[in-house]
Amino acid sequence: MKNNLRNFFVIITGIAVLLISGTTYATIKNPNTLVFLWTDSIGSLDPAYIGSTPSTYSSLNVYSRLLDFDGSNISEFVPALASEVPSIANGLTKELPGGGVEYTFPMRSGVKTHKVGIKGSGGKIVWRYFDDLSKAEKAKIEPGYGEITAEDARYSLMRGILQGQSWMANAVTEMITSGKYTNIEKWAMGLAGVEKFEDVSEKGLVAVYNDLAKKLKVVNGRLVMTLDKSFPAALGIMALPFATSIIDMEWAKDVGDWPGTASTWKKYHKPKKNDDPLYKQENGSGPFMVESWDTLTKKLTLKRFEGFFRKPAALERVVIRTVPEWTNRRLQLLSGDADYAHTPPEFLEEMRAAKGIKVTNLEQVYGRGFFMGWPTSSIDNPATGSGKLDGKGVPPNFFGDLDVRKGFNYAQNYDIILEQVLLGLTVQSRGPTVKGLMGHRADSPVYKYDPEKATQHFKAAFGGKLWDVGFEMSMYVSEGRTRQISAGSILQQNLARINPKFRLKVQQLSSASFREKTYRLPNPETPLAGMGWGPDYSDPGGPLGAASYYLSSTGLVAGFSGDGYRALMKEKFDPLLEKAWKLNDPALREPIYAKLQAMSHEYATTQFLWEEITQNVTRDWLKGYVHNKILYGAWNFYPIYKEEP
Amino acid sequence: MLNLILRRLSFLPVVFFALSLMIFSLQMMLTPIQRLSAYISNNAELKGGREQIASLIEKHGLDDPFLVQYWGWLKNIFNGNLGWSESAGAPVSEALLTMFPATAELVILAFIPGFLVAIWLGTKAGVNLNKPTDHTIRVFTILGWSFPTFVFGLIMMLIFYGYLDWLPPGRLSQWAQSEVESNNFIQYTGAHLLDSIINWRWWIFLDALRHMIAPIITLMYVNLASMTRVMRTSMLETMRQDYIRTARAKGLSEKIVQNTHARRNALLPVTTVAGMELAYMLGGVVITETIFDYHGLGQFAAYAASKLDFPAVLGFALYFALILVTINLIVDILYPFIDPRVKVK
Repeated sequence: MKNNLRNFFVIITGIAVLLISGTTYATIKNPNTLVFLWTDSIGSLDPAYIGSTPSTYSSLNVYSRLLDFDGSNISEFVPALASEVPSIANGLTKELPGGGVEYTFPMRSGVKTHKVGIKGSGGKIVWRYFDDLSKAEKAKIEPGYGEITAEDARYSLMRGILQGQSWMANAVTEMITSGKYTNIEKWAMGLAGVEKFEDVSEKGLVAVYNDLAKKLKVVNGRLVMTLDKSFPAALGIMALPFATSIIDMEWAKDVGDWPGTASTWKKYHKPKKNDDPLYKQENGSGPFMVESWDTLTKKLTLKRFEGFFRKPAALERVVIRTVPEWTNRRLQLLSGDADYAHTPPEFLEEMRAAKGIKVTNLEQVYGRGFFMGWPTSSIDNPATGSGKLDGKGVPPNFFGDLDVRKGFNYAQNYDIILEQVLLGLTVQSRGPTVKGLMGHRADSPVYKYDPEKATQHFKAAFGGKLWDVGFEMSMYVSEGRTRQISAGSILQQNLARINPKFRLKVQQLSSASFREKTYRLPNPETPLAGMGWGPDYSDPGGPLGAASYYLSSTGLVAGFSGDGYRALMKEKFDPLLEKAWKLNDPALREPIYAKLQAMSHEYATTQFLWEEITQNVTRDWLKGYVHNKILYGAWNFYPIYKEEP
Repeated sequence: MLNLILRRLSFLPVVFFALSLMIFSLQMMLTPIQRLSAYISNNAELKGGREQIASLIEKHGLDDPFLVQYWGWLKNIFNGNLGWSESAGAPVSEALLTMFPATAELVILAFIPGFLVAIWLGTKAGVNLNKPTDHTIRVFTILGWSFPTFVFGLIMMLIFYGYLDWLPPGRLSQWAQSEVESNNFIQYTGAHLLDSIINWRWWIFLDALRHMIAPIITLMYVNLASMTRVMRTSMLETMRQDYIRTARAKGLSEKIVQNTHARRNALLPVTTVAGMELAYMLGGVVITETIFDYHGLGQFAAYAASKLDFPAVLGFALYFALILVTINLIVDILYPFIDPRVKVK
């Protein structure tokens, strides 16, 4: 036994010595490969099918678009597959009589896709990787098979619109119909004059195809897009890595996708994911090719495309893996096995202090806030307690009272949140539009913590009854959103200080439950929820702009904020939004969006908290990242390279 | 024996029916709106508001009577269709089949040595009651039993990966993964150790093993502790029996008494416990797989549950029930072999 004990202590001492001395020295372990660890996953490789930022990690790098954003600028563009950016100055943008606009995209020549078609024995086309071909084989490439032309661009846009699966594809429909139709089904129903898409006849389906085809034409090898009315966000949409990504038409048809005919499109409309031929395969012209994608283990490997129309990327491979466990991601980053690791906010300071790690702050194009909805759902609703103004709950239209909304906004301590929770990294959000978007003004009114004003408003609310009886309710916050949880706790404490009968509970829900109980319901379960919604393009107007998202009665926020919220938007905000959208001159539009921003303060539509900021936590040898706000931090791996710091 | 097997097998459909009813009923406790989430891939589909939600609920039959929905679900299962898993991006059955080899490989390598060591340690402790060996083994097992898996797993990873960089997480290194995914490597089973032997790539074998050591030790220690304790108690009980005294009185050596007369009879309870341990391990070692980023059934089930991926959760529950019932059956069949006193009637 003595020997056993002695051995035990020897082993323990050995381990302790190793722990003390065994610091891992990380050097660039995979010099040409970027290992990217996150908690998200990619939904599909089909750019027309996807609608979320994580999914753009493939489309942004694998496909190309007619235009690219100019570096980090969200409203300036550079040519990509198009050889020039349309503008009035270069004559490629024309204002038509009657208010229409015509955009012409001349095409870059000689752009190859990852796989090209070569005529095999028996005349059958065989698709082979361009990079694997010899010079002699390259000479045998069938014209158009793996070469991007205006026909491919037209096919890609039409395919995305007609597929109608993703909201981002539907954004292209909204653009091309100048906001008249929000998706292809409504377009078909509108033309056919029927109430249900199922009732649209074969003839009606052909009619909508023809209508679309008239708006997208190929003239002298150039793509010409004609809009009936101006749509200021058009070029911004064309540069987004969704349904405006260009695929090779010949290849798509060959792998079983839409054959491009008027009578067949319904068969390819809203396909199930596993019925979509482009779900797991790609043939883009972007700087990287998909080497493998395992949906089960959630690992995507991208390989450099040597035939890219610009200089090939510096990285040879990019490996994107979903690793749900933070400690695991952290250790892989620290050891140098990974180059990027998604980091929860509470660990950012620790990572900033870690050797060899770089933490970069990234401004976002949206703010975080507490969203007020009314009326709330009245069936089995635990968030509203008794459902009455009796001190044990709140009535469904609680936030329908302007004094309640203002009282809540004055009860929040924004300065404490900014200084102590966000450590001074960002600024208070002034409304729907954040810094860099039209309508944002640094001197617009914002709420400040003012318990006296809050008391005044609470005393005036519900004819004074609220102050007398108090309330009890739950606000929902998504689990793990520590900053929002802290902001909720500050509000909770301030309300209790103002009146001890005010009891707010901050309820954390798993992201899936949170989604179900808040933004998937037309009338929300909770009267107050912590969220942040960002626009899909840089223009504040139109269907998917920041101002419309928050302040239009048909906007995204209104969609889940209850009938009362929608009624307020319709009465007060819709007329101004429509007025601004009809104008082309930014000088005339800007004051209107600024006024809308001020009105969101006046009507206390939301408790706007802070302009969102995120962080990239990487090894310090990783260089070249370009942050574009409108891409929501999605990584364009093309400019990235590794170099010892 | 055949009768026993047939009788047990005849219970299986009843057990499965009851299980399927329970699992489906649990799911039906969620509202149609909550269950609708399984059919919605993005929020824009709900932009039409209440009418849109109502039409989608109707379209997917989510407000149909319970029996109608249950029958529809059952019919799909009989046709081998467990549904589409949004979180896996694949049919549920494909996801389960693909993940199973990884989990099975890990579990087998953790279970078999663990089981043997537990029998050995339990025997040693049992025959050395209150001696230093017994005390040492008891401390060892109490530690293992009281250590939450996630704590032990994290400590393992911090030491052997974070500090020493010896045992990395995941299933393979980047270079090995590239080779396994290449055309030069055929994945016969999906179990890397086995496949690397068949392909005769010893460097892949070593890399896969290196990645498995930490999760194996984690799993083994935690499960070994409980089996050791059961074995020790069972040995203590057996060593007090009259036939052990008789065996000693006959002049048999202590080694023969312990190993032949006592240990075999003490195995019965530990076999029952081991059967259950194995079933739970095969059902997905959620925490171990998540900590070590080991892509198996446990990680899949945890991810699916966090995404409210109902088809995947239901499919996984059915799979787990199948494993549990099958292992229970195997243990029942093993009883008479371990202890002939257990007669087959």
